[in-house]
Amino acid sequence: MLEKQEPPLLSCRGLTKRFASPAEASGGGFVLANAGVDLDLRAGRVHALLGENGAGKSTLMSMLSGWHRPDAGTLALRGAPLVLGSPAAAMRAGIGMVHQRFSLVEALTGAENLALADGGRVSARRTKELAQRFGLALDPGKRVSEMSMGERQRLEILKLLARDAHILILDEPTSVLAPAEISGLYASLRRLADQGRAVVLITHKLSEIAGAADEVSVLRRGRMIAHNLPRDPALADGWDMAELSRLMVGRDVPDCVASSVPPSCVLGAQDDGLQGAEHSETTLSVRGLTAQSGQGEPPAFADVDFEIARGEILAIVGVAGNGQEALAATLGGMERPARGKITIQGRPYDRALVAYVPEDRHGAGTVPNLTLAENMLLSTTRSRGAIFARGAGSRAARKALEALNVTASGVNALARELSGGNLQKFILARELSKGAPLLVVEQPTQGLDVLAVCDVHAAILKAAETAAVALVTGDPAEALALARRVAVVYRGRIAGVVAAGDADAFERISRLMAGLAPVEAALAEVAR
Amino acid sequence: MGFRFVVEPWTAAAPKRRAALSLCTALAAAGVLGSLVFALAGVAPGAAWLAMARGALGSAYSLSEILVKAAPLTLTGLAVALCCRINLWNIGAEGQFVFGAIASCAVGLFAPAWCPPHLLLPLALAAGAAGGAAWALGPALLKARLGVSEILTTLLLNYVAVLFMEHLYFGPWRDPEGMGFPGTAELPDFVWLPTFGDTRMHWGLPLALVLALALWWLLARTRWGFRARVLGESPKAAAYAGFRAVRITVTALCLSGALAGLAGAGELLGVQHHLQDGLATGLGFTGIIVAFLARLNVLAVPFAALLLGGMLVGADQLQTDLRLPGTAILALQAALLFGALLGEFLAGKRVRVVRTGKREDRHGA
Repeated sequence: MLEKQEPPLLSCRGLTKRFASPAEASGGGFVLANAGVDLDLRAGRVHALLGENGAGKSTLMSMLSGWHRPDAGTLALRGAPLVLGSPAAAMRAGIGMVHQRFSLVEALTGAENLALADGGRVSARRTKELAQRFGLALDPGKRVSEMSMGERQRLEILKLLARDAHILILDEPTSVLAPAEISGLYASLRRLADQGRAVVLITHKLSEIAGAADEVSVLRRGRMIAHNLPRDPALADGWDMAELSRLMVGRDVPDCVASSVPPSCVLGAQDDGLQGAEHSETTLSVRGLTAQSGQGEPPAFADVDFEIARGEILAIVGVAGNGQEALAATLGGMERPARGKITIQGRPYDRALVAYVPEDRHGAGTVPNLTLAENMLLSTTRSRGAIFARGAGSRAARKALEALNVTASGVNALARELSGGNLQKFILARELSKGAPLLVVEQPTQGLDVLAVCDVHAAILKAAETAAVALVTGDPAEALALARRVAVVYRGRIAGVVAAGDADAFERISRLMAGLAPVEAALAEVAR
Repeated sequence: MGFRFVVEPWTAAAPKRRAALSLCTALAAAGVLGSLVFALAGVAPGAAWLAMARGALGSAYSLSEILVKAAPLTLTGLAVALCCRINLWNIGAEGQFVFGAIASCAVGLFAPAWCPPHLLLPLALAAGAAGGAAWALGPALLKARLGVSEILTTLLLNYVAVLFMEHLYFGPWRDPEGMGFPGTAELPDFVWLPTFGDTRMHWGLPLALVLALALWWLLARTRWGFRARVLGESPKAAAYAGFRAVRITVTALCLSGALAGLAGAGELLGVQHHLQDGLATGLGFTGIIVAFLARLNVLAVPFAALLLGGMLVGADQLQTDLRLPGTAILALQAALLFGALLGEFLAGKRVRVVRTGKREDRHGA
């Protein structure tokens, strides 16, 4: 092909970026946000960069647009090496980024904002001409504060074009748009690409790339899992969405899971299949649960129904942003539902009946600047009276440290001094010590090393001997390793429930996560 | 090629080192900026500092005056520190101070005759605390229920409180035998706070020290204090634990108002003995500096109050000896606050000097 001879507009090789880890800063730990990332951006193409929250998409694009400097790796612009010291330098090189949060002066008009950006005169005519030339509908005399999100976004793009940007990076551009505006955006992006620009679309929503992209790259945990996958004309969506979903969320299951789980537990769960749930008592029953929603936005989840029996683990999986986060927070008692009913052991919802391990270990699950003894009392302080039971907190914390083999200097260590894995084990031990009939665990092994993953999985399986467990995770492999049934959440609804024992369970979960399963099948599953 | 400073977070810094660094920066900034202010006012900085030191530490009387100032400053400092521990900004200690004074004055002036005299002093102090708390209740409810910034409401209510007090002593509460001077009648001496010897030092100081200890105990040892600390450190964790943020916020702001109100009551019953011009001299605002100089540590608040008290007393000497305007002390206080904030910023950071790398290439080549 001709294009092969021409160097890409922008290419990256081996880009690496580390950040000091806030949790382990005292130990000098680092988070590897990007590790050896390769990427080519070609003129005339719309490139979708896929990845879950925290996969490193924004870090990568921040390096391309001059906000961060890479620790290692090289950039080349049309084949010539490029070092970017600042966003201004990137702009001079023709690279511009539209961030999720716009940088517009709300009190000024579109024309004034444009002049502010490119240093030109304030001219309504010039703005109008520019807008028409690039096919971006805009009223130059309108104040930004009166503009819709779509108009603001077009103004941001126009600001870059006015400064002659050849490479446009848009961070989650559709997240602020109404559905009707999205197709307009895509048409504009297509036109800009056809004029010889490279356009990058950062997203974690698979459904959005089908209509917009020419190429896809997938980031996972800071690594480029697949880069520059071209559109396959044979497929309706352009790519095998289930495959992309697997690339995006899939993780290798550590070997230890199989060995740390008593075989009877795994096999038993699979043999029982779905009948097992009928025999045993139902601990948790959720009916018609719907989240509260802001103005004009749909609720994070709606009309969710499921049950979990004592001794059962139900996994709730979904690609980030599909509502499972809010569902976990509601089950854990941090958010109140707008509608629907949660019943635990036949009684109405009560915080005291729930043990909850939240996703945010450092912010919600513990207070970083308090000691472990104090953190122990965060969710277990039930006794009445004014005096706070420090002695009891220390004793309980000591027990928790022993129960799950947590490495810490003692119960007076501050929570922020613990590594992620040890902190997670501490939280899990604390929650298990409550002996609650329902355990809700959210993203329990995110960011943990293999050994900690094993310990956490073993503890969850142990807890499931006496309690009902709701395991909320973005990782289908983890769900299949632990749970008997896997409910997949897509766009705030349970798209389907898959029995973990089925041979094609992983395939079906991946398809459901990508929103590809037929609705009838999903309904049949929910109804059981 | 060049050099630039890189400021990066440094969580590993030892707490003691942080405290020392913070205090030293505060004092150094006050020294440098204060000297600048003196020089601009046409006074040799050395002579000015010496005059201040002599004024503050020169006699037994001046030392006792420092303690007189330290009592209300400890209480207003505690008021501000308590709120800041929960990420609330009570800028209204001045207004709560004034309202505390008004409430305790009302008890002193209008207590019915059948009321046993020995009950009036405790009653007046309690009224002072209640008055301060009541003045903080409005901002507290607005903050907790509607999310209205407590910084604005508490700040603006300061002026309302001062104007209201002036209305009282110029108008309905004015002493008819006051020879035309604005002010209330002198309170009966059985509601005065007893003094030590023939100094102006009164029982407000030991009371303030006991309250500092009590507040430490409340924060460190009680369930309410634990919840308040969790809310201050991480509102998300408080939500996770199911603590009621609204209730904690309202209680904390009212408690803070009560402490400031008690400071006002102490100043009225211990020193001034009537509502008059000169009661509201900014001791509530100075409490903000006391709290930050103490790094929000309630046990360090009395020491910071002593330091600020010394500055206030020393500044009087500046006025009489060197004829500096009284506002010079405000500039010194501001310097101290900026220094404390700068010290707090630097204490959590590490500053490195790095050589800047080669400049970026332009457009390809």
